[in-house]
Amino acid sequence: MLQLIEVFISGLVQGAVYCVFALGLSLVYGTARVLNFAHGSIYMMGAYLAWVLSAGYFGLGYGLVFLVLLPLLFVIGLGLERVVIRPLRWGARWQTTTMMATLGLAFVIDNVHLIVFGPGEKLLPRFVEGSVSLSGIVLSHHDVLIFVLAIATVVALELFLHGSRTGQAMRAVAQDMQGASMVGIEVNRIFGLAFGLSVVLAGVAGVLLAPVYLISPLGGWTPFLKGFVIVVFGGLGSTRGVLYAAFILGVIEAFVIFSLGASWIMPIWLVTLLVVLMLRPQGLLGVWAN
Amino acid sequence: MDQKVYWICVGALALLGAFVEQSYFLHILILCFIWCIVVSGWDLVMGYAGLFNFAQLVFFAVGAYGSAMISIGLGVTPIVAMVLSAVLVGGVGLLIGLPCLRLRGEYVALFTFAVHLALPTLIRQGRPVGTGGSTGLMGIPPVELGGFTLRSIDKLPWYYLTLAMAALCVYLVYYVILRRKWGRAFVALRDSAAFAKSLGVNDYYYKLVVFTVSAIITGFAGALYAHYVGVVTPKILGNEFFLMVMVMLSVGGLGRFPGALLGAFLITIGNEFLRETGQYRLLLLGLAVVATILFLPKGLVQLRERFGTPRRRPMA
Repeated sequence: MLQLIEVFISGLVQGAVYCVFALGLSLVYGTARVLNFAHGSIYMMGAYLAWVLSAGYFGLGYGLVFLVLLPLLFVIGLGLERVVIRPLRWGARWQTTTMMATLGLAFVIDNVHLIVFGPGEKLLPRFVEGSVSLSGIVLSHHDVLIFVLAIATVVALELFLHGSRTGQAMRAVAQDMQGASMVGIEVNRIFGLAFGLSVVLAGVAGVLLAPVYLISPLGGWTPFLKGFVIVVFGGLGSTRGVLYAAFILGVIEAFVIFSLGASWIMPIWLVTLLVVLMLRPQGLLGVWAN
Repeated sequence: MDQKVYWICVGALALLGAFVEQSYFLHILILCFIWCIVVSGWDLVMGYAGLFNFAQLVFFAVGAYGSAMISIGLGVTPIVAMVLSAVLVGGVGLLIGLPCLRLRGEYVALFTFAVHLALPTLIRQGRPVGTGGSTGLMGIPPVELGGFTLRSIDKLPWYYLTLAMAALCVYLVYYVILRRKWGRAFVALRDSAAFAKSLGVNDYYYKLVVFTVSAIITGFAGALYAHYVGVVTPKILGNEFFLMVMVMLSVGGLGRFPGALLGAFLITIGNEFLRETGQYRLLLLGLAVVATILFLPKGLVQLRERFGTPRRRPMA
């Protein structure tokens, strides 16, 4: 019984990080209608950058790492949107071309990682050591910290989207691009901002998961796929839907690993995707927009 | 491109084979022909039918593995195995096409790419079924044709076999399928789904047809590849092949015959030149995808439109 509770808790921790990752995808798809195939590679980029800043070269503490990493990722996101996405927007069949361009970008990032860091895996040390025991259930400090950080990120994003004017503008663009631009919102700026934020979210998720999953050049594809299943399951553009879906799927994954073994993860995620798409293509809380 | 010009090109390539002596060049051209088949199948789905199918290499892999497993496991002669595996791949295409009927564009891309990402795991887990796990399958029997055995080292026979097959498949796609009712229905559904449906074009039927047909064509290319190379590994589904076909399509231009075929030749040959750059090769291929999409979104054909005499748009 205790063991089951521990499995459940580890599922919740995973789910919280998946949520951060998936919200980044959902943000860009919701506002800019771009399916970003490079999201997983960007996730790995965040992990590699954190590795360079801490264990790899600079030896910074994790507090400083985040302080440097967050603005850096944001600027990278703005740059990528400017260079790769914006020239394609409004061009012929831009939904097709942006998908191919981001897929190409993903391969570029992966291969840069491969060339710079080599094919071997890198390990990011745990943020904190030690554990607490609550009436027999062992919780590592690291897991607790990850959970808190992930939830804090999600809450911060929610506050930004609902509290600030820029966040409201972002939601307005997500609801109706033309309407938003008619009332004076600079749609292009919002796209850039959304992309920047989404890169930050992916990078943060990458750092949070790096101590558990190792950092490797192609390691971003599994989270990418999982992130998309979560976004589809939760309903596109629905933050709460993504939240629920991330936790549900995180817990399911933990129990699958516990009872069937790790090799079953991907097939289970694929089947989940299929079932969701067949039964409820608009997702848990999404509105089917055409 | 006019049919006569097409057959003249094929004839020229056939003549070329007789004059090329270095087996390395023959090998590259053989690969070009195999990729031409793959690219024409993908162009049919993505360029003409406008369906974002990223599972095309899944068909290639199933064709390769299917034919290898049937010929090794059941001891069937390779030609029969190739036909059987083509039927099998057609079934797989139908299965992957079914869920896509209800999905919008991006979801199709996502779902099919998910299948692509999940397949290597299945192959690695499938050792008990005879997939050979992560080491792959070795010793795939060579094709036997009327008493002749075509081994991998017999470049010239393979040259003519793959040329003939590629010429046939490309002809089927671009001159038969796309010029008849099917092709017009694909293009109509791509350009204006609602209008086409209101005219009575059955979109479910045609989408399933395009999935199945392109799966069979691509799977056949996979089977040819398996028997030519003699080895299949899960690497087929790795980044390299996917990236290569993506570059071929983006360089050549989607839905712009003969763009994609030119892309196949250009990239297969270019890829060999890039081998000298070692680990930078895949990076350069990735950059090529992004750069062509940004600067030549219609592919190389656009160069002619930009600098050459204005021409009638090719059938699209």
